[in-house]
Amino acid sequence: MKKTEQNKQSFGEIKVEGVTKTFLDEGKQVEVLKDCTMVVPRGKLTVLMGPSGCGKTSLINLIAGYEQPDSGQILLDGEPVNGPGPERLVVFQETALFSWMTVLQNVTFGPSVQGIPKAVARERALQILQTVGLKDFKDKYPSQLSGGMQRRAELARALINEPKVMILDEPFRGLDAMTREIMQEFYVNLFQETGMTNLFVTHDLEEAIFLADRLVIMTYKPGKIKEVIEVDLPRPRHFTMITTQRFNELRQYALELLYHESTKAFADGCKSAFDLIDGFSRGGAKREAM
Amino acid sequence: MTTTKVENRLCSPLILHRAKRFLNIRTLRGIVSLIGFVVLWQLVVVFKVPYLHNLPYPAEVAETGMQTLGKKGYWLNWGISLKRIFAGFIIAQLVGIPLGLAMGTSRVIKDLTFPAFEMLRPIPPIAWIPLAILFWPTPEMSIYFLTFIGAFFIVVINVLQGVTNIPVNLKRAAASLGAKPSDIFWKIMVPGSLPSIITGMTVGMGVTWNVLIAAEMIAGRGGLGRMTWEAYTNNALPTIIIGMISIGAAGYLCSSLIRALGDVAMPWKKRF
Repeated sequence: MKKTEQNKQSFGEIKVEGVTKTFLDEGKQVEVLKDCTMVVPRGKLTVLMGPSGCGKTSLINLIAGYEQPDSGQILLDGEPVNGPGPERLVVFQETALFSWMTVLQNVTFGPSVQGIPKAVARERALQILQTVGLKDFKDKYPSQLSGGMQRRAELARALINEPKVMILDEPFRGLDAMTREIMQEFYVNLFQETGMTNLFVTHDLEEAIFLADRLVIMTYKPGKIKEVIEVDLPRPRHFTMITTQRFNELRQYALELLYHESTKAFADGCKSAFDLIDGFSRGGAKREAM
Repeated sequence: MTTTKVENRLCSPLILHRAKRFLNIRTLRGIVSLIGFVVLWQLVVVFKVPYLHNLPYPAEVAETGMQTLGKKGYWLNWGISLKRIFAGFIIAQLVGIPLGLAMGTSRVIKDLTFPAFEMLRPIPPIAWIPLAILFWPTPEMSIYFLTFIGAFFIVVINVLQGVTNIPVNLKRAAASLGAKPSDIFWKIMVPGSLPSIITGMTVGMGVTWNVLIAAEMIAGRGGLGRMTWEAYTNNALPTIIIGMISIGAAGYLCSSLIRALGDVAMPWKKRF
């Protein structure tokens, strides 16, 4: 535990300050983010939620440094972000493993392009693969792994670089329900062990509350921060917490905020808002069953 | 030494298993299909089916075939054709793959080359034959040029497509992990477009054979295409058919070679 406290100092803090981002869509200027301000605090797990098209992915692309804001700025520990770098690593929605490399080669890709000696990188990679339970699969290609294993390999590829901030863009989307729950538990344990700064995007409210220290809810068009919910469920988290009263209160509260924004997106004809509304009704049905 | 080794291998359960698999019902059906084809051919000649009665008997073709296989000149023709194929094909890869990669990675290069490229691409390679004959000093060079054209456009368009289809997230992930532009090019773009490069090669090889045969018939000296054409001028029907079968076999051999190359170059594509 003490070690974690010390480690925390090596993790980063992201500040998004008054960021505006506009895209040209079929000749029309679309304001995706407007005057968006938020903090991803050091050593906390911040979960970002909002209706489809609210600019979550844009915000992540900006923080990762793939795109530049039109105005405002993004700071990592007070330093402006100018481009992608290994101190802010992204785990993508669909797997972004390099299919032509083995698991081990994928994991050592970061160190090798950063000029770290091969033997050092290899040893470190084997340690991390052990942690994520993929040591026996180090010489397999990604296509030989199951969905859950692929996500773990991707986490390993990010973790080996000891990033200051981990950014996860719906990393468990597309996994079957069982694998998804196991991955959530695996991930939340990993977070609790490392205490690393995490920004996690999801569509799944239960997942969000289960994982989060802070739940950030975004508005729809233009995207900015609607509200931040402090999730005060105790850690370590366990799946039994999903049935607690506090969990349900938090979910009910977040659901109302999200529902309002989603209906806005729905009325706007945003096709993918259907997913979200659909997801809510399923969540509701589950609750009744309990 | 060697014999015992071979015997051992023959007796191993794996070989037996493979032999069994080879002789399964589907293989038998395949053999029936081939025999059926020959029987049909025989019947066509025996019953003098209109327009087809000039065909030689299968046995006649087989006999000519056996004789041809023993002739040095026949194998020389194989050599000549293969040399022409590979000369044009390899140059097409050497020029086409880098050009496709450059077009896929640099917008400036694509803007400068793509319109001209797209103007020339739809021209069937065979339509280049007259110009090629006039333009190049020797017939041999004309044929190299034509086999080059046969593979070139297909290679470039496939490589270009391969590079463009690499998901943007892979490049982003690499950049986040600290890859420099040169790392992204060599470690992401090149291996990422390899499947398309191999597809381009496979299709290109087929087209190259098409072009070669046409070119040999018109302009060549020697080669399997020329051999078939000369058999026509000599009214040697069995040899025409031997020529056709040889061209088919040569094309198949070349495609298998590319497939094998693909398997070696892309171990991650193997079926597990």
